[in-house]
Amino acid sequence: MVMGSFLRAFDPVSTTDDTSQSHGLAIFDTLFALDSKFMVQPQMVQKWGISDDQKTYTFELRDGLGWHDGSAVTAADCVASIRRWAQVQSGGQLMMKRVKDISKKDDRTFTIALKEPLGLLPEILASAPPLFIMREKDANRPATEQVTTNIGSGPFKFNEALSKPGASITYDRNEKYVPRRDRADGFAGGKVVNVDRVIWENIADQQTAYAALQAGEIDFIQSPSVDLLPIIESNPDLRLQVLDKGGRILLLRMNCLQKPFDNVKSRQAILHLVDQEAFLQAAFGNPKYFRTITSLFGNDTPYSNDENTGWFKKGGDPETAKRLLKESGYAGEKIVILQPTDWAESSNATQLLAAELRKIGANVELAPSDWGGIVERRAKMGPVEDGGWSLFITDHSNYSTTQPHTNIDLAANGKEGWYGWPTSNEYESLRAKWLEAKTLEERKALAREMQKNYWDIVGMVYLGAYVQPSARRMSLTGLIGMPAYLPMWNMQKVSG
Amino acid sequence: MGTYVVRRMFSTVAVMAMVGIFVFLLLRLAPGDPAAMIAGKSATAEVIAGIRQQMGLNDPIPVQFIRWVRDILGGDFGTSIFAGRPVLELISQRLEPTLSLSILTMVLSATVGVCFGILAAWRAGGLVDRILTGFATLGFSVPVFVVGFFLIYFFAIKTHWLPVQGYQPIESGFWPWLMHLILPTITLSIPYLAFIARITRASMLEVLSEDYMRTAAAKGASSYSMLVHHALKNAGAPILTVIGLSFAGLVGGVVITETVFNIPGVGRLVVDAINNRDYPIIQGVLILVAGLYVLINLAVDLSYTLVDPRIRY
Repeated sequence: MVMGSFLRAFDPVSTTDDTSQSHGLAIFDTLFALDSKFMVQPQMVQKWGISDDQKTYTFELRDGLGWHDGSAVTAADCVASIRRWAQVQSGGQLMMKRVKDISKKDDRTFTIALKEPLGLLPEILASAPPLFIMREKDANRPATEQVTTNIGSGPFKFNEALSKPGASITYDRNEKYVPRRDRADGFAGGKVVNVDRVIWENIADQQTAYAALQAGEIDFIQSPSVDLLPIIESNPDLRLQVLDKGGRILLLRMNCLQKPFDNVKSRQAILHLVDQEAFLQAAFGNPKYFRTITSLFGNDTPYSNDENTGWFKKGGDPETAKRLLKESGYAGEKIVILQPTDWAESSNATQLLAAELRKIGANVELAPSDWGGIVERRAKMGPVEDGGWSLFITDHSNYSTTQPHTNIDLAANGKEGWYGWPTSNEYESLRAKWLEAKTLEERKALAREMQKNYWDIVGMVYLGAYVQPSARRMSLTGLIGMPAYLPMWNMQKVSG
Repeated sequence: MGTYVVRRMFSTVAVMAMVGIFVFLLLRLAPGDPAAMIAGKSATAEVIAGIRQQMGLNDPIPVQFIRWVRDILGGDFGTSIFAGRPVLELISQRLEPTLSLSILTMVLSATVGVCFGILAAWRAGGLVDRILTGFATLGFSVPVFVVGFFLIYFFAIKTHWLPVQGYQPIESGFWPWLMHLILPTITLSIPYLAFIARITRASMLEVLSEDYMRTAAAKGASSYSMLVHHALKNAGAPILTVIGLSFAGLVGGVVITETVFNIPGVGRLVVDAINNRDYPIIQGVLILVAGLYVLINLAVDLSYTLVDPRIRY
């Protein structure tokens, strides 16, 4: 199998990288998991309950859970893993603000005691990036220090002898894994492994990967490049399959701390300037795999809505954008756009953005570098003259928009937030209510209010939504389609 | 000669030290942050800062440098930031594929290239010379990835005679090992073969016009004896230099072929390490490749004594 990007970091807790999360899903297990409808289901947990005052959750582990080294999974492992995960993952950090104590009661039972009720606790424990349960001795290490022992309790075992980091990773079926009896459903249900071994190959060249798929040397390419899709589609031995139907959202972050985007009018100018179809065409080519997006809360999610989306119209509106930029007091300051040279889609969209900005009179400079250079530079809050930046394009999963309480892209808490650092106290007070909302309807109403405010302050701009088809040989079946990560249980290789 | 070898060995250490200092400083000055690469696309600045602190990347550069030199002198090239394994272990995993490919390429390039060069010089100006010179020019001009994909299409996809990609260690059997290396070796050999053929032709042409060649012909020496025993031996020094330097270049520079054929060699290791900002691996590989380069040069210099008895060290 060839993953979208090769496994770099083994510790899925210390990183948000998607491939590391897929690695985590293979070798680790989780307390809860999301099913295909994104509902929370118990996974390692057999049963759980909440006290009458809604402040103490008790969790009991199911029978048969064991580490790959032969020892049993205990409640102490879970307690240490939750604490470690909460050090770095936004959901955990949020939860810990309300936690009074996490402690084990006996070998199979632990509790989370809260200072005040937190109805979304199971959702937080099940949210992405997942809370992977590690051995206590591994989980006692700081979350900023990578755990590379690769010993979990999941349905696959990491084969250290055959794995060559950076070249190939080998997983063997964990014969001792006891799956739940339910049918596999999303990340939840019975994790039944139908293959003896899975090998991830690091085939860097897409053409080689395709040739290997065609020759039957590999069975799966998670993210084939756009130019290969028509060729794959025409091959009767191969099939394109969209596993993450929600897809991802290409988005533009603006440095709200520096000129000109510290002025809301200049950010609104960008919102009006962007013709999503043109950007999607430049980035992805085939309309079959992209669509426009107007709701802050993604396409086709429970919270998608049309509040305050009047700025959107087919074809963009450069005249309005030009007027707004002028009204913002823009005086020709240099706008630096970070351009990732090793991410073709984003690079193409970046060049289009530069061209569109120049058309409305902006003084634009592209700053090309590989993604490694961008992730360092995007952290700089200062002006472009001091090595800062004005704009960069990234993406997030459509699904993540349903979790505004944990998705840092959707925050507007200034310097405490994510790159771009938009600030809106009004929006943040609305976002804080998300945790208090008790029903879906309440959250839907809240989503409309949040969106109304957000498209006024324009904390970021959506450039469009896209799905990434995967390519597989017809003989590989049973792949589970979920956002971003690839579970490997349930899949099987049939003859032919 | 012993003194010469010892002196050269000392110079090898000096070169490795200079490469080490240069690479260390260059990496710290270049944009990019391994902590950010570990943390992933959506990580917060706070988490990245925590990882930087944990990895010691916030220490002043001189402190990091002294720590690194101390470890190197103790034989510890460090641990990969991402894989969490010793750098030497990772390099040793990747050496076999690269050395296998480099050695096979050099054997094929040198054998065929020298033969082509001799033939072209022997029949200088004739049809054979024109064909071989044309081939050499073509060999230089066509990028290796084009040749690679062309070979993959015919010999792996159309006929299924050979695998598309991958590498099998020699311990898994000679044939599986060889089968996986045939296409990459041919691909990589073509430019080197062309280069060696041209150098051999030029050297041979120079020697063939010497007086002693006319003397050998007057003595009634056979064409084979004249070409191989008289001419080739005297034309050998520049050919050996080219072969030696090509081999040294191959060990550190086969990244395109390794990428096209998905061979997990040293070239791929260092390119991935650069993309990930995995400093210990980049530093380790470059120092070792520099050392290897100097040693191969030494071996080439010493081999001159085999073809030219006038050379003494």
